[in-house]
Amino acid sequence: MDAPSVWIHLVSALVPGDIRSEWVEEWDGELAANGGSMKHAWGAVADAWYLRTEGLTMDAMMRSMRMAIRGLVRKPFFTALAGVTLAVGIGANTAIFTVVDGVLINPLPFPEAHRLVSYNHEAPGLGVNVPLVPHSQAMYLHYLENANALEAFAVYSDDNVNLVTDGDPQQLAGMAVTQEYFDVMGIQPFLGRAWIEGEDRPGAEPVVILGYSLWEQSFGKDRSVIGRLVEMDGVQRRVIGVMPEGYAVFEEELWIPRVIDAETANAGALGLIGVGRLSEGATVESAQVEMQNLLLRFSEENPEVLPPGVLEQAGFAADVKPLKDLFVQDVRQILWVLLGTVGIVLLIACANVANLFLVRAESRQREQAVRAAMGASRLDMLREYLTESVTLAVGSGLLGLGLAAVGVQGLLKLAPAGLPQALDIGIDGSVLAFTAVISIVSGVLFGIIPVLGYGRRDLSSALKDGGRTSTGGRERLRARSGLVVAQVALALVLLVGSGLMLRSFIALRSVDPGFDPAGLMTFRFALPRAEYEERSRVLDFHRQLSDRLAAVPGVRQVGMTSALPLTGAKNAGPMEPAERPFPEGELGPIVEQNRITPGYFETMSIPIVDGRGLEWTDQGDEFRGVVISETLARAFWPDQSAVGRMIRRQRGENSWEVVGVAGNVRFDDVQEEPLALAYFPVLSGTAESPNASYSMDVVVSVGGDPLDAIQGAREAVRAVDPRLPLINPRTVETIVAESMASTSFTVLLLGIAAGIALLLGTVGIYGVIAYIVSRRTQEIGVRMALGAPASTVLRGVLGQGMRLTAFGLAIGLLGSWGISRALASLLYGVTATDPLTFASTAGLLALVSLLATWIPARRAARIDPVEALRSE
Amino acid sequence: MGSVRMTQITALVLKIVAAGYRYGFDVMEACDLPSGTAYPALRRLERAGLLKSRWEKAAEAYADGRPRRRTYELTTAGLDALPEAERKLAEVRRLLGDLPPASTGKA
Repeated sequence: MDAPSVWIHLVSALVPGDIRSEWVEEWDGELAANGGSMKHAWGAVADAWYLRTEGLTMDAMMRSMRMAIRGLVRKPFFTALAGVTLAVGIGANTAIFTVVDGVLINPLPFPEAHRLVSYNHEAPGLGVNVPLVPHSQAMYLHYLENANALEAFAVYSDDNVNLVTDGDPQQLAGMAVTQEYFDVMGIQPFLGRAWIEGEDRPGAEPVVILGYSLWEQSFGKDRSVIGRLVEMDGVQRRVIGVMPEGYAVFEEELWIPRVIDAETANAGALGLIGVGRLSEGATVESAQVEMQNLLLRFSEENPEVLPPGVLEQAGFAADVKPLKDLFVQDVRQILWVLLGTVGIVLLIACANVANLFLVRAESRQREQAVRAAMGASRLDMLREYLTESVTLAVGSGLLGLGLAAVGVQGLLKLAPAGLPQALDIGIDGSVLAFTAVISIVSGVLFGIIPVLGYGRRDLSSALKDGGRTSTGGRERLRARSGLVVAQVALALVLLVGSGLMLRSFIALRSVDPGFDPAGLMTFRFALPRAEYEERSRVLDFHRQLSDRLAAVPGVRQVGMTSALPLTGAKNAGPMEPAERPFPEGELGPIVEQNRITPGYFETMSIPIVDGRGLEWTDQGDEFRGVVISETLARAFWPDQSAVGRMIRRQRGENSWEVVGVAGNVRFDDVQEEPLALAYFPVLSGTAESPNASYSMDVVVSVGGDPLDAIQGAREAVRAVDPRLPLINPRTVETIVAESMASTSFTVLLLGIAAGIALLLGTVGIYGVIAYIVSRRTQEIGVRMALGAPASTVLRGVLGQGMRLTAFGLAIGLLGSWGISRALASLLYGVTATDPLTFASTAGLLALVSLLATWIPARRAARIDPVEALRSE
Repeated sequence: MGSVRMTQITALVLKIVAAGYRYGFDVMEACDLPSGTAYPALRRLERAGLLKSRWEKAAEAYADGRPRRRTYELTTAGLDALPEAERKLAEVRRLLGDLPPASTGKA
């Protein structure tokens, strides 16, 4: 060979394999015809380089993608199976990521949302499970005046109002907010104005700002509504503004001023939630430091309200954090667990699809070998495989996106503790990017595995014998076995997780909440204070409504309470025995204080364990009787009867006589030990310091379906006060179920994930064992012809399957041991490393894979030696 | 089958092939381009379906004691694209005719 020819052969290494020989021939031909000088041959590099990189242009990629699609369409069953498996995995990930993105990653939809903070307190020493300790009026005024770290500061409280328009009376979710509230949020009414100075002080004209949807539905988008008077809770309020469309933090529909009375400020309870906008340059940390100093100063200046000793005992301290943390603290952990879960499902799905691709690679072996012999490099084949797998994955990604769009809606319906509306959850740019990335990564992941299974030797031997006895088959078998081990391990992790959650759920279900929710219907009403200023009218209303409800057909018992257990309501404060008050500066136990009507204990099946319950004759200005819970009775009088003793609110003026002790009730949530509870009459206190309850939960026990009583209840309420809406009628069983919602939600989703994992894992094991059997048909035939009994063959194949399973289980157990800790805080009544759960889930998985192995193993044992040998 | 951007080079190569030059090296010499430029242009035109190539009969070549050669010719699509190539080349000629004196950068 002369120099140009050698040169051409060297350069040809650059040229893609499938056209290499033609390329060499063409250059040889031209060089030979033209005297073959090197001058002409140099350009061959540029030509070869062009051909090598041509595949990387957009145009060429589209071309190979089209080819890949054509290839996939030609195998519809394979494509559908692989595509749907992947789409489920990608869809689940996209759905959960959409929620994670909306809840945890996206900022709140307010201007400069990073400057919004929750500005409240914490008091871990109280032993009460609350996310935050809010402000009293006096605290609010103190911080409003002194906090420099905040550019704007406001407090709010929920204030639901009854609005009577043309139709039925309706209850609207309202928010009572102080003057700077809209400056804090950074959003102003688009029509009219926000509060002006002094509108949140006593004596100002009552005003209201409407939400957009309320303006749309009840006022027909009438712009002249500004300045009009509307009646709410018996008060004439002037409409001064309408908020822009879509604005709401929770689901509030209107805003009224939270009136702060500087004169009586100290008397207020801690019921005002603080929000602030950080000043330029201030940080959450600097605001926290400043607030803590201000709190200490407040305590020094107002020792009678907040004694320094109490501050210390309760661990009462400033708590400034990003506003968003206030909304999402409950769901944060569940979301990360779910994202991890669906991630594992996707890995298993990829393993399954990789297995399918391996099977297909098997059937294309000869074709590939021929191409390899003609010069196609591994790189060329890799590119082709990857184009195919990524094309499939992108298609599945699109399908998964559709599934996710549906799934997100379902998720949000199922999700516990309604997420604030302000969190904008939906498929946006970052979700699309996430889906694109996981689709392509999955495509590469399962596309590359079959190619890695090819050794060079493999190809040449495949040509010789069609692959039946080739060594490459063993390499691919190893790849497939590895995939199965991984699938079993991952499936076990999910099974353990869902097993732990299931046990928690069962433990929660078997907790006795202290009352019997069966057959109970409940609703709430709120009396407008303006119309019920006379307290005797309040008591009359309660009596009349109780009588009317008792007369509704089917109703057995009627009771009312200011706060039903497990609804999240909270009205707690420290109490002490009147005979031995706590020393100044020391805090008594925090007691949840309810008001009830007679009949409440009977309706709820809460037993009276000592003394008696409350009677109608106990309800009134001068009556000072109270029923306390067992926990409280034992705390104050451990060895004696509490009946006849006197208790009081700490440093309060009035004492109450304990007339009875009621069984314990789980009040905040089912998980926690029962709180100390005190049940006061609806109307109590003295003429000077009267106490009455305007808003009550009514409980009605019914013979049949509790929801059948709603219509009767509505009529009973209308008969007593036609302008009063029935709020949120539902069964008490719903309330109990909702209190376990975060557990049942996690159980459900983990269960679905574990089910998918189990199914895919089983299919994987079955596939591999069936493959092994088909490859060994002749060998088994020979052995049986030589006298091996069928049972030996059966045992041999089963053993092969169970070895893989055992490997997977061992890895999975180790993995679960490490990972299940992430669930710890979601568990109840079971530890994160519960041996029973670990053992039983591993056992279940072993059993299922035994079954999956059994089917092909039996087929092996039934091989007819003659048939098997003849097929050679 | 794809499309090709009609550059001055591809236009020139297409025109040369249309003029009857059939072998890669002949085209190369006719348009006085180095082989590293002429060949990729041929490949692009063939990819785009404007040219097609075939091998001359092996027997003929072997009788002359040389390897067979590849020949290029226009397809129908190539013939259709010829006016566009002409326009492109006319444009080049016009550009060269109107070429203003290059600035020295010191004016």
